[in-house]
Amino acid sequence: MFETRSRLSQFILQVLITIMVIPFVVPLYTMIAGSFQGEGLGNYQAVLQVPKLAYFFRNSAFIALVTIAIVYVVTMMAAFGFSKLRIRRREVFFWMMMAALTLPEVVLLAPLFQMASGVGLYNTFWAVIIPIAALQVPFTVLLTRTYVDGIPDDLFEAARIDGAGTVRMFWNVLIPLSKPMAVAVVVLVLINAWNSYLLPLVFLIDPDYQVVTLLPQYFQGQYNDDQTKVMAGALLTALPEIIAYISLQKYFERGMAAGALK
Amino acid sequence: MPTKTTDSTITRGRAPAPPKRQGKARLKPAGLGWILPAFVLSVGVIYFCIGYSGLLSTQENRGGTSGGTFIGADNYTNALTNPLFWGAIKHTVVFFVLVSIVQISMGIVFAAMLHSKVRLAVVYKVIIFLPVVIAPAIMSPVHRRVFATDGPLNWILEHIGLEALSQSWLAQTSTSLLVVIGVQIWSSIGFAFILFYASMGQIEPEIIEAARIDGASNLRVLWSLVIPSTRGTIFALLVLNVISSLKLFDYPYLLTRGGPVYTSDFLGTYIHREAVALTNLGYAAALAMLLLVLAIGASILTNLRARER
Repeated sequence: MFETRSRLSQFILQVLITIMVIPFVVPLYTMIAGSFQGEGLGNYQAVLQVPKLAYFFRNSAFIALVTIAIVYVVTMMAAFGFSKLRIRRREVFFWMMMAALTLPEVVLLAPLFQMASGVGLYNTFWAVIIPIAALQVPFTVLLTRTYVDGIPDDLFEAARIDGAGTVRMFWNVLIPLSKPMAVAVVVLVLINAWNSYLLPLVFLIDPDYQVVTLLPQYFQGQYNDDQTKVMAGALLTALPEIIAYISLQKYFERGMAAGALK
Repeated sequence: MPTKTTDSTITRGRAPAPPKRQGKARLKPAGLGWILPAFVLSVGVIYFCIGYSGLLSTQENRGGTSGGTFIGADNYTNALTNPLFWGAIKHTVVFFVLVSIVQISMGIVFAAMLHSKVRLAVVYKVIIFLPVVIAPAIMSPVHRRVFATDGPLNWILEHIGLEALSQSWLAQTSTSLLVVIGVQIWSSIGFAFILFYASMGQIEPEIIEAARIDGASNLRVLWSLVIPSTRGTIFALLVLNVISSLKLFDYPYLLTRGGPVYTSDFLGTYIHREAVALTNLGYAAALAMLLLVLAIGASILTNLRARER
């Protein structure tokens, strides 16, 4: 956008942007530098020896995978139904779903909390998975339906004339053709499920069931606010996300952007 | 989009097609069963919870199995006359305005800069976008460290001759809200940046070239050409910010617990405190219903505005 004709102006632009990203680097630097203070690598050793550390990651991975699977399947089916099949009062159903689009999760808190004691929702992954999936679905359906609307009806028509049933059309036409959107859906749900904090905070109380977003306060408890270990813990917890993002940069950016570019 | 698979798979379809009547061939198969799982999952769970919230909000309910007693609209009148509620609303508005201004303007500037000739552009992009990906819950101990009295922010201020500004950011009533806003800005500029970067990529280079031949300066091009063409993105971000301000929970809870003395309290932290810490479920549900009305009202308003344009 900015044209830099001379060497000097190009240099100024480079310096300017470097200064502007300093605020972004400060927390990252604080985390890394802080984690090596005091006992140095010993901080990491201490953190890695935290009992049940692996549980936190395993539980987060489990919740993310199940949520992704559920959201993916129901979203694809619904997008297919809304876009390519015959449904009476289709738009009524669609808008009932879209009305839930902007729902904040805290709204679910009081009723879920009240039910929790009665039905025994505490320390159940479903208490986290179902609400997260429920809150994601309106949005992923909106995205995917818009996308599927763009696939010509003729392709489905042709499949049917060749004798494909509805299930076959879904499996052999819709699923392969909607792959680009599916990537966005998966990334979106992955980030939201992995980063979710409020629902695990309230419902997953037993350390055996806790997830990575609850690790910082667990470390704080374990190390009595020994900042060096807390920083090491934060870095270790953020690492999978940092690696995933850097190695799948394009998909992450596209997945997140898909959210706003409806 | 890859379309290669379709042709082969279609013809492999489950062999001899039954003869169809002309009229029926046009009729699409029924789809209700296909939308049902998504419908039950989202609409079922969400509408049930809203209904249940509505019920709870008319009760004095202390949780447990004892149930609640009906008290009519008392929870609502209590909420609407409670300064804590209006405090949270005020913080939400301030948060929305400041975050939107900084996030959108910085997002535009970064996107324009990285569309120019900059070395190591990928590195800058990663640094700017990384905060969007990392969970607020995971980064918040680090932010608390940054803003600590003996933390890096004060260190920097002292070393660039601004000792006067050095203070205990998190613990004083005058700055706690600013810290929450600052951290949210840190974690959301990257999102705006990605959107602006994408929408600026769609501007025809010829148009910009033409403007330059006419003698337009860099800033002039940015102001009169680039920014107007990203109007849709700006609007989308404003809509998303309304919703995310209303449902804010993670950062204020993790950084300041809404304090000190509720100076960084938001509806999210308020509802959580009433529901979980105080098990005042009826009141929490009433707050949640008010939040819901605000969220729906805001999205209807923005939708109407979008239609006007």
